[in-house]
Formats: sequence, C-alpha cells, structure tokens
Amino acid sequence: MFTSVDRRLPGDLAMWFFILAELSVFAILILAFAVTQTLRPEVFAEGRAQLDTSTGLAMTLSLLTAGLLAALAQQQALADRSRRAAGLLVLGLLVALVYVWIKLSEYGHLAAAGLGLEHSTFFTLYWILTGFHFLHVLLGMVILAWLALRCWRGAYGPGRQSGMESGVLYWHMVDLVWVVLFPLVYVL
Amino acid sequence: MRLLACWVALVLLSVGTIMSGAAGWWWAVVLAAVAKAWVIADGFMELRHAPLGWRAALLAWPVVLVAGIVVMR
Repeated sequence: MFTSVDRRLPGDLAMWFFILAELSVFAILILAFAVTQTLRPEVFAEGRAQLDTSTGLAMTLSLLTAGLLAALAQQQALADRSRRAAGLLVLGLLVALVYVWIKLSEYGHLAAAGLGLEHSTFFTLYWILTGFHFLHVLLGMVILAWLALRCWRGAYGPGRQSGMESGVLYWHMVDLVWVVLFPLVYVL
Repeated sequence: MRLLACWVALVLLSVGTIMSGAAGWWWAVVLAAVAKAWVIADGFMELRHAPLGWRAALLAWPVVLVAGIVVMR
C-alpha cells in the first residue's frame, strides 16, 4: 500500500522568492569573481596568499553552528517549548558573533596592510563579495534576535510558526552562500 | 538527531575543503562545496519535503555556480 507524502514549503512563499532573488545576486558576484580569476590568475594567487584559510574555516564553523542552533530552536518552537527555543537562538547569536569578530579582525588586518578595495582586482572583488555577505550576516543576526524575543514571549508554537521558519530560512540562505563563497575566495 | 548529523557532515566537509585545497585537489574542493550546499538545503532548510520545483531550484544553484567555476578554470 502506497501512502502519498504531503509536500510542504516551510515558511512564507514571499521569503522563498526573496531568497531566490538574493541567490541570483550572489551568483552574479561569485561568477564575476571566477571569471576575473581566469583572466588574471597571478593577481588572484598573490591576493589569496594574504588570506588565512584557518581563519576562513573558523568563520565557516561559526556560521554553520549558528545555523544548527537556529534549526534546533525551530524544532523546539514546534514542540511548544518557546523558552528553550529562545535560549537556542540567543546561543546561535553568540556563536554568530564569533564570525563577526573574526571577519572584522581580518578586515582590520588587511586594511592596516594596505590591502584595501583599490589594491588589486582580487581585493576589489574580495571586499565587495565578502562585504556584501557580511551585511547579510548582520541582518540575519538582527532577525535571529527578533525571533528570540518573539519566542520568549511565546509568539510561536504548533500551527503558528511560519514567521519563525521564514526568519530561520534567511539564516540558512546566508550559510548556503558562504559554503560556495568560502572555497572560491580562500581556497581555490 | 538528523540536524546534528547534518552539522557533523558540514564540519567534516569544511575541514576536508581545507585539506583538499592544501593538497591541490581542486575537484574535491568544488565537490565538497556542492555537497555542503545540498546538506544545508535538504537538511537545514527542509527542502526534502518541499515541492519538487523549489527543491530542484535550490539544489541546482550550487551546481550551476560550481559548473561555471570549473569551466572557467
């Protein structure tokens, strides 16, 4: 006997169209980076040598762990454990702060070494691409903080968590972009 | 438990990315990028239960990008 599976899109449909638009913009930037790397491989090799892959890995782990905590929070909210969900979101925010701290340290180090936006083609694209992503992380953190507050007030629960799903989806989109951006900028 | 398994897979793939890059295995780096994106889409974003069109769109995004990167190498 076969049973049909109800296919369901989590969150609001509008959030998914927003995510598609964001992914399209990032795709253009990432491909621009890749095309320019093909045209000027020596400039990119020289620029990439100034970046620390272990720093990039630490930022990756920070973003992914925050994503895990946000997903766990969503599960807790669905199980009507709002306070626990709020705690997980706050923990996720703290973990995301590690990314912010590392990224700002990296930006400070590069700026102090004179490797700014106009230093080379590599650094022009590095600052634009990672800076644009960084702004998305900051917005994601504001959303996580808002969700934590709403969870604490018991706004989400079984049958009323579309808003929370949409907010958490935004954070996962930020992670999704980073896992493609990170190897291209730091490793390849 | 499933979410934790996804996170462990993502951590291992991220460490593997660094090691593959150090070894000069660029093909492993790009394959790991696609694998990580799929784990996030299907695991964290729960697209495995979503309508097929949306799931296909999100799973295709890293494939198209990585294909572009590989073609340009």
